[in-house]
Amino acid sequence: MAVPLKYNLRNLVARKASTGMTAFVIGLVVAVFLCVLALVQGVTRTLSVTASTRNVLAMRVGSQAEMQSVITRDQAEQMQSMSGPERNAAGRSYVSPELISLINVQREDGKTFSNVQVRGMAPIGMEIRPGVRIIDGRMFTAGTNEAIVSKNLSKRFASMKVGDTLKTGSFRWVIVGLFDAQGSAYESEIWTDVHDLQQQTKRNIYSSVFVRLPDPDAANSFIETIKGDQRLKLEGKTERKYYDEQMITGAPIKALAFIVGLFTAIGASFGAMNTMYAQVSARTREIGTLRALGFSRRSILTSFVLEALMLSLVGGALGLVFTFLVFNLFLTKPTGTMNFRTFSEVLFNFRLTSSLIAGGIVFSLGMGLFGGFFPAARAARLKITSALREV
Amino acid sequence: MKYLGLIWRNVFRKKMRTFLTTSSIILVLVLIVILASLLQAMQADPSGGRGANRLVVQHATGLGNFLPLSQRQRIEQIPGVVAVSPETWFGGVYKDDRPENWIGQLTCDPDIYFDKIFDDATIDPKVNAEWKATRNGFVAGETIAKKFQWKKGDHIILKGTYIPLNPDLVYVGSYNAGDESNIFFHNEFLNQSQWFGANKYTGLYYLKVDSGESVPRVAAAIDKMFENSDAPTKTLTEKQFQLQFMEMMGNVKFLINGISLIILFAVTLIVANTVAMSARERITEISVMRTLGFRRGHILGFILSESVLMSLLGGILGVVIAMVLIPLLKMAGNKTSISVWLINFHVSWDTLVMAFVISVGVGILAGFIPAIRSSQRKIVDGLRQVV
Repeated sequence: MAVPLKYNLRNLVARKASTGMTAFVIGLVVAVFLCVLALVQGVTRTLSVTASTRNVLAMRVGSQAEMQSVITRDQAEQMQSMSGPERNAAGRSYVSPELISLINVQREDGKTFSNVQVRGMAPIGMEIRPGVRIIDGRMFTAGTNEAIVSKNLSKRFASMKVGDTLKTGSFRWVIVGLFDAQGSAYESEIWTDVHDLQQQTKRNIYSSVFVRLPDPDAANSFIETIKGDQRLKLEGKTERKYYDEQMITGAPIKALAFIVGLFTAIGASFGAMNTMYAQVSARTREIGTLRALGFSRRSILTSFVLEALMLSLVGGALGLVFTFLVFNLFLTKPTGTMNFRTFSEVLFNFRLTSSLIAGGIVFSLGMGLFGGFFPAARAARLKITSALREV
Repeated sequence: MKYLGLIWRNVFRKKMRTFLTTSSIILVLVLIVILASLLQAMQADPSGGRGANRLVVQHATGLGNFLPLSQRQRIEQIPGVVAVSPETWFGGVYKDDRPENWIGQLTCDPDIYFDKIFDDATIDPKVNAEWKATRNGFVAGETIAKKFQWKKGDHIILKGTYIPLNPDLVYVGSYNAGDESNIFFHNEFLNQSQWFGANKYTGLYYLKVDSGESVPRVAAAIDKMFENSDAPTKTLTEKQFQLQFMEMMGNVKFLINGISLIILFAVTLIVANTVAMSARERITEISVMRTLGFRRGHILGFILSESVLMSLLGGILGVVIAMVLIPLLKMAGNKTSISVWLINFHVSWDTLVMAFVISVGVGILAGFIPAIRSSQRKIVDGLRQVV
């Protein structure tokens, strides 16, 4: 026979202060855990979303990032004459030699500066990335020092609204459009014409060549062709693989999330355990009475574990409320962190997915189970006679 | 002090409860000390504040754009400038691209570098002289040199990335400084090789001025001088230069501080709950003590001291555990992309003081309300209460 749940519920309500504090602590821990995981989720998504397995990125052999790669004009021309790339309706092949540069720009607050990546591309580069679309203004025109920026960058930095002139050092661009890149890494970039960028930076070279192939198999054989070409001395990777490798940026944050989650969870379960132990010792006579009435040791154990789970569930629910509050009050703007490979800022949004929410609830129940089991076991082990004798 | 025995006994009256509470304080303190040290390591000022008279000149557009070497002479002529060294971030790959093999690689002018500019670093004069004379020689921060177990005469090969050269360098000796994550080799080595920047470009200028008062004047003069040239400059103090990298970490700092505050709040609640529970169980006992002649102040002091003692105990153990853990984390972290930040990862005195203040603070905050409630309760009410 099971002890009615109502008994536990009433007990929780009867000791408001103690229950409330413990639930509150569990709630805080759940909220911290969810926020850090939402950050990890955000970074991961930024670097994985929309990266295509049909797009091939060619760089100098051994380069880890486009920033570090140097491709000469000759090499780029050879790439352009290779067979395999898909062609658009007008018959132009999907090959875009691109140049990456870093610029130091002022944040929206006008006080601090950060490094942002500028990508010079052939005008066809836009078609190579079908996930990217212009949401305001228009595409840049080659030869006029015009540029487009992502809507996220435009929110975060000064002089990045449509119609603004972005000045940094001797460089000048007129912003003519905003684009949306579905949260991918391109949202951390400024796009302009590659020849314009070459002129502004006085560098007659490229960083990478982007090629779109008809399907992933063709992409893989194209990579082999690049590898086999002894004169070219370049290395190809699919866009997906390139960004997977950049994911290393998220690793330290993941480790941080894990350590913070583990430590705080154990700490909070100890708090819950304390509360439950106090409940058991305060209710020793009650437990003796329940046993005398015929409730088995097993039902006592279940009853106290369930009480702890209810307590932690209240905590978990509080945690979700805290998380939603934090999300709607503080995390409304995109956040940036440094990409260790490129020394530039990657923008991302915190992402609270439904599986994360479920994870938060499971996490709180885990704390309840861990915190409730030992006190419940003590309660179940009590001898009826000595429990009833207790003052 | 004479009541210490009583307080101590009360803290350990319920061993399980004290163990659990202290453990949660320990866990939180370990976490906070680790997070604070990490943040400090990322913000570390390599000169420990002594670099105030040093300036870094970079391209106004940002890092990664070169400055013409011809600017050096003009900067040297500005009054107040002691010495100027062109410096280039080589950014090559040592061994392979695994993060644990990351080294900061810089080129400079060895004739003046340690003598006049980076003068808070200590280097054996013999090593310095020998390095000046060895065109393909390099010196390394002692931490880095030890890590790779370089011995004098060892050769290393760096694989260039954005500078397409693969220099073969000879280890000459080490230096000691606040930041020992870098190696230095000769500018001339780059200038006498075949690449587009040879004898034409440098990444930065690193310079020393004669006094703190000259800093803003010289910085402004340099930027003004090149304002309308092909390569406009942006001159920063060494500290500002470092902060630029920290700034790129974006909101990580905010995140770490936020997490620390929230978990501190949480642990305060855990301790407060424990102290309140134990005070509640002792209502009768406390009233008996009052009857015996202990004053309200005594009771307040006892409960508050119990709380502080417990959290201080947890705090001390937490710091000790963190100090053991940090070297281990450093070892593990060396294999990740943040290894560059971990070179200065250790528990500083500032962090120790902070941990102490936090522990006492948590104890006081947590014990405050239960202590006041216990001491304000009327003796008769306390004696009447059935626990």
